[in-house]
Amino acid sequence: MKQAILTAMILGMLTTTAFAQMERERVSPGGPIDEMFWAPNIVGMSTVQSLPANNLNVTIMHNFGIMNDDIFQNFFGMDFGATVRLGADYGITDRWSVGVGRTLIHRLYDFRTKYALLRQTASNSVPLSVSLKGDLGINTNQNGFSFEDRLNYFSSLMIARKLNDALTLQLTPMYAHFNTPRDGLQDFYAVGVGAEYRLSRRWAVIGEYYPVIGDRPAGTEDAFAIGVNIETGGHVFQLFLKSSNWHTEQHILAQNSDDFWNGDIRFGFNVNRVFQIGKN
Amino acid sequence: MVKRFFLPLLLISFLPGLLTAQQYMTETGHAEFHSSVPLHSFTGVSNNLVGLINLDDATVDFYVDLTTFDTGINKRDKDMRETLETDQYPFTEFFGKLVSDFDIQDSSSQPATVRGEFTIHGVTREVEIDGTLQKTSEGLELQASWIINIEDYDIEPPGILFYRVDENQDVEIEATLTETEKTE
Repeated sequence: MKQAILTAMILGMLTTTAFAQMERERVSPGGPIDEMFWAPNIVGMSTVQSLPANNLNVTIMHNFGIMNDDIFQNFFGMDFGATVRLGADYGITDRWSVGVGRTLIHRLYDFRTKYALLRQTASNSVPLSVSLKGDLGINTNQNGFSFEDRLNYFSSLMIARKLNDALTLQLTPMYAHFNTPRDGLQDFYAVGVGAEYRLSRRWAVIGEYYPVIGDRPAGTEDAFAIGVNIETGGHVFQLFLKSSNWHTEQHILAQNSDDFWNGDIRFGFNVNRVFQIGKN
Repeated sequence: MVKRFFLPLLLISFLPGLLTAQQYMTETGHAEFHSSVPLHSFTGVSNNLVGLINLDDATVDFYVDLTTFDTGINKRDKDMRETLETDQYPFTEFFGKLVSDFDIQDSSSQPATVRGEFTIHGVTREVEIDGTLQKTSEGLELQASWIINIEDYDIEPPGILFYRVDENQDVEIEATLTETEKTE
């Protein structure tokens, strides 16, 4: 009897203690991974990464001259001057962004848009992130071309998977069209490959490669770039070595004449900065 | 003899569970923190504050999933999550007692003090927090604000190249807790 009562008593107390603290529950443990990549671009290649609604991302891209001959005399190619693309993208929704950019070469204006079709989730219920991109470039050099002949187009399907905390890989089937043919060619294809490998929460190694498929103009090469990302919380700095002096993918794909593996290497850097426009 | 002694004890031990508790709860409380970095400041907001106040035993239990805080810029949210190591320590919580008197008949806003354990980033400290409690037709209105020195919780203020977050963070919570049945 005594034992039974004691047991009951202890049980009674246990129940009260168990009531005392609520069980802690996560709000959405398996939701979309919000950073597949740190930046909207690897070096020049757009990433699946979508820009959240009301966020404005400003990207300033630079690359310099080919670092050959006397790199100290020409200061790693920097004496040859920079090719700059100044760009801004704005998130209309969490999946859809629009952007505009201006590049020194060809006095090129480009207008672009990106839409996230799928977003990989932490629970793996969606195993891949997939985004679609379109870009319209306009050559505004005073070259006597008609407006139509100045136009070029780019479209890509970015397919990425974050394999673990460190590594994200991206495959990018891409297509470019130029209204003005070069060597009789107007259409260009590649399946771009890109990667970001995080060494820490601040540092990551990045790389991208544009193996062209099919016919290509004489003297063009598959573009390649490798570099590091430095993530500072508000900025992402990207320092890299690359071939191609272009920043727009249609041109990197179709008009690159640098051969990285033969020493045509340029130093470059991008600065990405996110601004919040409007309320959270 | 045995019966006389144990039975009342037995009853008492069950009492807290058996009584119709004056218990109030919310899962949509508002929590925010204000951070200052050189040249500007920002606010992180969550509307997923879960809280329970039991007026019988004066238990006060609050927690929030830290990943629900939104600072308006995803990069900053991520920075915050990494700083707080939310993968490892997803919650910040308070568990303690209401140590001030509260008159449930009085419908004006009453000063309230809680004392207990506050945990963030896996570090627990004894704290005393002042706020107000008010009985309304909806339930209990709670407001409180205090300052957390993040260094007390082994949180290393993120700082690289450009900014360093101030170690003192103003924290505010606001919630309407509705009366609930004590069922778990």
